[in-house]
Amino acid sequence: MPAGDAFTPDQLYDIERAVRHAEEVSGLHFSVYVGGADSETRPFALELLNELDDPDSSVLVYVDPAGRRLEIVTGWLAKRQLSDTSAGLAALTMQTSFATGDLTGGLVTGVQQLGEHAHQPPLLHANEPHKQ
Amino acid sequence: MLVFVGIPVLVVAVVALLVFAPSIAHGPRYRPGLSWWAPPVWINGPSATKPDPANLPELPGAPGTNATAGTGVARTTGGASASW
Repeated sequence: MPAGDAFTPDQLYDIERAVRHAEEVSGLHFSVYVGGADSETRPFALELLNELDDPDSSVLVYVDPAGRRLEIVTGWLAKRQLSDTSAGLAALTMQTSFATGDLTGGLVTGVQQLGEHAHQPPLLHANEPHKQ
Repeated sequence: MLVFVGIPVLVVAVVALLVFAPSIAHGPRYRPGLSWWAPPVWINGPSATKPDPANLPELPGAPGTNATAGTGVARTTGGASASW
């Protein structure tokens, strides 16, 4: 990767659109950080999560391209909607794309998948009595 | 002269354009295993107006409460990790 920006404007737009879509379908806050870690990746990703405005309801996707590490961190409220198993499946999807050098595609697909997994369909007829 | 120089140069130029066109169109590509020099990117990160907890004024506590209130509930995080 040559010196310069990590993503082109078009690539950034695609990732931002995936983030917005994930937020709309899930109601959670999604954030993506791509860069090196000052320390171990997991504690660093947790620090990033805590810097967000509402860390409890947030999902942070942290990618360290140099260290080839990926961390998905869910806040304690977000964890109720997005299980660790679902996060692991999305991580697997992203991992496959990253291994082929497709950072943008991996992030877009992974964030979309996280949003779909965190989606909670509205309860229909919840206030109606049960009919037999 | 045109046949032996011009046409081969034109063919080489067209082939080179076809080879490099995708990378020009899609921008630089990440190559696993090579160094990464790009500055960090934070998409949908924290807003700049978020107050620093260290600078917040100290609020008076309710009678009978102590400074450790609120730390009794473990707010664990979740997620997943991967490497490639």
